[in-house]
Amino acid sequence: MASDALQKQVATKWQDSFNRLNRGYPGISGLMGFSEAWAIAADFLYPRELGDPPKDFNTQKVRSAFDVLIQCRMLPMLLESFVEDMRRRQHLITHDVMEFMAEYEASGDPDAIGRLILRLADWYMAWAPGGELGHTLSSAYIVNFQTHIFSILPPAFAGGFKRLIAATLALSTEPADAAGPSSVQDSKLWTSFELLGLADRYESLIASVCYEHIENHVLETCQGKWDEPMLSTLREWMADKVVPWMLLPYGRGAKTTEEARTMLQGVGSRFDFHVCKTLCDLRTKEIFDIIIDYPESSPALYDLKECLQRVDQRPQLVQALRKLNKRRLLHPGADTKDILTQYVSIIRCLRIIDPPGVLLFKVADPIRRYLRERPDTIRSIVASLVVDAESGDSLVDENEPIQPLQGPQVDDYMDPNWEPEPIDAGPEFRTNKPSDVISTLVSIYDSKDLFIKELQVLLAQRLLAIKDGNYEKERRNIEILKIRFGEAPLQVCEVMLKDMTDSRRIDQHVQSQTTSIMHPTIISRHFWPQLQSSKINMPGQLKDIQESYAREYTTFKPDKKLRWLSHLGSIHLDIELQDRTVTADVPPLEAAFIELFSEKDQWTVDELIARVGPVDRTTALKALLAWVDLGVLKEEEDSSFRLLEQADISGALRPSGSRVIMEDEPAVVSVQQQQAEQMKVFWKFIEGMLTNLGSLPLDRIQTMLKFAPGYDRTVDQLAAFMEAARREGLVTVREGMWKLNR
Amino acid sequence: MKVTVKRWHAIAQWQWDIGRTDEHGDAEEDVCGICRVPFEGCCPTCKVPGDDCPLIWGECSHVFHMHCLLKWIGTVASKQQCPMDRRPWVTAERKVTTNGS
Ligand SMILES: [Zn+2]
Ligand SMILES: [Zn+2]
Ligand SMILES: [Zn+2]
Repeated sequence: MASDALQKQVATKWQDSFNRLNRGYPGISGLMGFSEAWAIAADFLYPRELGDPPKDFNTQKVRSAFDVLIQCRMLPMLLESFVEDMRRRQHLITHDVMEFMAEYEASGDPDAIGRLILRLADWYMAWAPGGELGHTLSSAYIVNFQTHIFSILPPAFAGGFKRLIAATLALSTEPADAAGPSSVQDSKLWTSFELLGLADRYESLIASVCYEHIENHVLETCQGKWDEPMLSTLREWMADKVVPWMLLPYGRGAKTTEEARTMLQGVGSRFDFHVCKTLCDLRTKEIFDIIIDYPESSPALYDLKECLQRVDQRPQLVQALRKLNKRRLLHPGADTKDILTQYVSIIRCLRIIDPPGVLLFKVADPIRRYLRERPDTIRSIVASLVVDAESGDSLVDENEPIQPLQGPQVDDYMDPNWEPEPIDAGPEFRTNKPSDVISTLVSIYDSKDLFIKELQVLLAQRLLAIKDGNYEKERRNIEILKIRFGEAPLQVCEVMLKDMTDSRRIDQHVQSQTTSIMHPTIISRHFWPQLQSSKINMPGQLKDIQESYAREYTTFKPDKKLRWLSHLGSIHLDIELQDRTVTADVPPLEAAFIELFSEKDQWTVDELIARVGPVDRTTALKALLAWVDLGVLKEEEDSSFRLLEQADISGALRPSGSRVIMEDEPAVVSVQQQQAEQMKVFWKFIEGMLTNLGSLPLDRIQTMLKFAPGYDRTVDQLAAFMEAARREGLVTVREGMWKLNR
Repeated sequence: MKVTVKRWHAIAQWQWDIGRTDEHGDAEEDVCGICRVPFEGCCPTCKVPGDDCPLIWGECSHVFHMHCLLKWIGTVASKQQCPMDRRPWVTAERKVTTNGS
């Protein structure tokens, strides 16, 4: 039961709204006018079927009907009813959406999505109230229509939309490749995205399509292609193919090219960044092999340099290269020479990417520490210092100027070109003014004395091997080394060279007095590295030759005499047998033995050793077997050797005739050789444990070997040995487990 | 069988003939009593051994690097004596056959 007051209040309200609707017209004529206006407006707005013929509206009439409603402040009500109508008619659109989505899901063809969008745009146009009716109405319509659409579109739509965008991009970048779904080529498509609000809603998805496209393109065109600059090609490709497409999503509504350019600036720079980043990632992944390929790969390095200026991925590059070096370079199986070669390439490559040398400093450290641990590093560096025409694979670039070694650098504040250290340098970084490769290698060690010693050894080996008296090459090497190491440390090498010259001069004199088949190299012993000492006595005519030469020498140099290093050098001789003549170039010990066979036909090893002097059995046997190989001697069952005056046809056919022997063992003692020899003793232990236990990791082998008598190797030495055994096919290794190769 | 040596590339060391027959004894290395450097090395002022840094023999039978001895004799403290036995230094005539060149 309502109170009077309430009744009165309702009556007043009703009167207010009546007055508003009637607009002060007499009677209810105003109210009648309102009804008519409502009917016209509502009919005009009513969401129609697409196929329906457009109703013939009188624009003037519609306009005035809306005016009436606005006057009555009934526009919100009309809007509400319009929205309600849209909701009620939504099933028309839903039906289409279902149909196209079903088609898409069946075929996977993004064209279905394209056509769906075009259809949705048709619906949008059909239901749109038209802008002339005021902003409130049209913006309310847009919001409502888009909300409806987004509520209907199934989750699969996003995937389809992405593929559709990709198809438009593909059409732009590879027009020849695919004709593409027809809707893709429809110029209305992008306007439709805009109308339906898809462009904004899926903005990041559209960008991701472009990113992925760039990534694929970079991989396809640049992977493994290091011998030409790719970054500029990629940028051309962006400008020619991708930018025209970018105008669609990002240059919407641009009226002039100028305007479009401004709109694209931000997004264009983002995509250019992505190109650089993708190429940078790729090159970072490939960096180890790029370095191997240097200098052919230098265009790739210049690209990487440019990318790194745009994308800050220097830490990633350092980390990747350090990891690759560890895995592919710094392991027992790699030759020291190869490690050095790659290190030198790394130096050269990183200098291209980063001239101040910060990257190099960070990458080089583990390599240098590893090299320092290797026993043959100095020897390898020295070997590469000495230019060798035959091997030709010197670490030193011939074009690089020869310069004195550079010590550790100190900041030179007087240097007008001084620059502050780069910010990622780190506290230990010392400005590495581009010093030459050799200085960098020598600086692996704290002292250069070791190099000088090793140089002497190498030079000695090479000088003693020279038979034709031509040591000009060595002289040139010494001249170059003097520039690098300074005169004083190489004084000793000077004396060695002088000995060579003097020997030749003395020999010329001696030959002028009494011709001799002997041409000795006479050395000043304190200026040569320690030579393998063995004092063998040359027998028979060989002794005569030595003595006569020594006599002639003393006649020429009265206050001096010669002391023969009989086991060194080589002897060229003919051996005339009953049915053949064998010519050979042999070490003196072999010559001594065969000379003894001219005394009698059969000797035991012990007899021979007794005659020649302190020679160990292995060496003696090796020398004898060399003659067996030549078919001159035959080993008898009682471990004696017999001269074959007549060729032994029954035995294996030995090639007779000339043979040239390079001295297989250098005259100068190598520590490493001795170690390798000793290591072989332990092989039978390793073989035994692998036979019994199957496969073992290195550290287990090491632990077990410690029980072997006299075993004192480090695990690194063991690793090197196992690696050598693997190369010989004795063992295999898989995931760190060693086993016998059976 | 007949072995004919066609060519021999040999290696030898030169030694000063200081009149001792130590063909087989390389145990004691002969050093200059002044600078303690082996005779086949060179005196502290030289860089090249051999004829460029020769030896000198005294009547007292002591042998030195020539440069070392001359420097010693040049000092007042030497009183022109052999540094080993303090006898007046007299250089010995080495009995050398005249050489060809
Ligand atoms: Zn001296
Ligand atoms: Zn001297
Ligand atoms: Zn004396």
